[in-house]
Amino acid sequence: MKIQVNARNRAFQFEAQDKEQVLFSGLRSGIDLPYECATGTCGTCKAKLIEGKIYDPWPEAPGHRYLKREQGEFLMCQCAARTDITVEVGNFVYSMNPGACLPRSEFGVIRGATRLTHDVIGLKIEADTPQDFDAGQFMGLAIPGVPGYRGYSMVNFERRTRRLEFVIKKKPDGRISEWLFNPASTVEGTAVGLIGPLGHATFFPGLARNILCIAGGSGIAGMMAILARGLQERYFDQYKGFVFFGVRTMADAFYLEELSRFRQAFERNLRIVVALSDEDVTPECRQQHPALEFEKGMVHEVAARLMKGQYQNVRAYLAGPPPAVDAAIRTLIVEAKLTTDNIAYDKFS
Amino acid sequence: MTRTPICLTSDIPSNGMKECEAGGGLKLLIANSGDDYFAYQAVCPHQDVPLCEGLYDGSVLTCHQHLWQWDIRTGAAIGLAEAPLGFYEVKVEDGKVYVLAPSVLKLAALFAGLSEATLAELERIAVRETVTAGVALYRIGDPTEDIYVLVSGRVNFVIGREERTTAAGFALKKGEVFGWNALLDQYPHRIAAATCLEESTLLRINGRQMIRVLEADPAGGFLVMRRLSSQINRYLVTSGAK
Repeated sequence: MKIQVNARNRAFQFEAQDKEQVLFSGLRSGIDLPYECATGTCGTCKAKLIEGKIYDPWPEAPGHRYLKREQGEFLMCQCAARTDITVEVGNFVYSMNPGACLPRSEFGVIRGATRLTHDVIGLKIEADTPQDFDAGQFMGLAIPGVPGYRGYSMVNFERRTRRLEFVIKKKPDGRISEWLFNPASTVEGTAVGLIGPLGHATFFPGLARNILCIAGGSGIAGMMAILARGLQERYFDQYKGFVFFGVRTMADAFYLEELSRFRQAFERNLRIVVALSDEDVTPECRQQHPALEFEKGMVHEVAARLMKGQYQNVRAYLAGPPPAVDAAIRTLIVEAKLTTDNIAYDKFS
Repeated sequence: MTRTPICLTSDIPSNGMKECEAGGGLKLLIANSGDDYFAYQAVCPHQDVPLCEGLYDGSVLTCHQHLWQWDIRTGAAIGLAEAPLGFYEVKVEDGKVYVLAPSVLKLAALFAGLSEATLAELERIAVRETVTAGVALYRIGDPTEDIYVLVSGRVNFVIGREERTTAAGFALKKGEVFGWNALLDQYPHRIAAATCLEESTLLRINGRQMIRVLEADPAGGFLVMRRLSSQINRYLVTSGAK
């Protein structure tokens, strides 16, 4: 099928395979169509059908609340073309840079699922072919029997790798976590669908900026990849890094050993703070993790308190539950006066 | 120009903002900055998110969804924003904020900077029309008599070159001017086609009458023609642009 996208600045034409979502066929062709969650929730990828017919496999997707369906608006991340189509998007759209990691669909096999806390699992997947992605990106993950993809950030950072690591938080009524957290499920060895890499909140050393990461809970995943790339390049020998990791209690914290190792690699310039929202900080946790700092409070409040006067040349990365990300955005814009192009996050709501 | 009371100055927090009802279902965002009040469209031009849920520090307004930002004094886009905010003129009297019914001609970039008198004259010769979805306003090759300003709704605009029509159509938005070869001598036929995508309201102005109004205000007329020539130039440089 031929797809034409009329953007505000120009038109693009590309080919889509049978049942392939408009968004993914465009991204795969190197066209940076608008999207954030890529999984039917945020509504960023909305487009308007001008000509032709489409198929919507998930008419109940939460992102539909942003659409005027009677005007032919639809979600590019969900819908596939049934005929040649022409669609219109209200954004400016450009071609991706040469060298961008183009997303494609792929299969993989689950090679390990480790409990990191009572409601967080670390998942290791072996992709069928080597993958390239940027630090901070995510992949859509599909498991057998559950329609659609869910987005999870990669924890590791390697080039041309078949190893993908994710952090998955148990969600009430979440069908992927229901399956994953059920002791009766056969998780290891299960084949899964993957689509990616996706996401714009990427870190690359050419930024030449100090890095601020504010993560709530499983949002730490993408920050781990940023730190991993920073370590490979010895980035924090030259630039400062500030990482704020928010959890409710010490029982909800994970990756503390890994975070300690990053901190030990850059004692002078890297600061890693664990913020506990629902529990006082005990002397024991400071003794057990001497490389890390511990503070009581919501993660955006702790970050605001400790970052005062240190926002020069900062690029911020945010991830976590939507209310935590919104609160962090508010702090960074209103108090820290960061410009919006230096606040990077992928919106999942 | 009619005026509608919209709120009390005391309703708006100092250097804060509030969504208010302007009658007829029209919602506006009223913002205070120092001694001044400003009125804008109540939803983000990007995804219809209510702007009153956004962030505002007394000078810059930020939509919390995708961090589009605007200068509160002008509505001009800052940073990531790809579109300006629709601006409504306000007047404050005795602790009340009034919204003045806006002239769409003031929103049109082509007419920016024209004097009040010339704008009023253009308004006088303009005919207001409402057109249903799917109606073709003109096609390639039609005679050129009128120039249009889009007041509300959406119009698809496809430009052609000789026999060929470029692939891309463009959806015009509020305040955009089209059909401008009605202002040019020696071009009696349309080189583009315009079709209403939804029910739309337009100002239709006769090209010859408009030229006469602009001739009476040479400074303003020069400004409009200079903008028009750069608009045409842009079309020549990037095929398919308006």
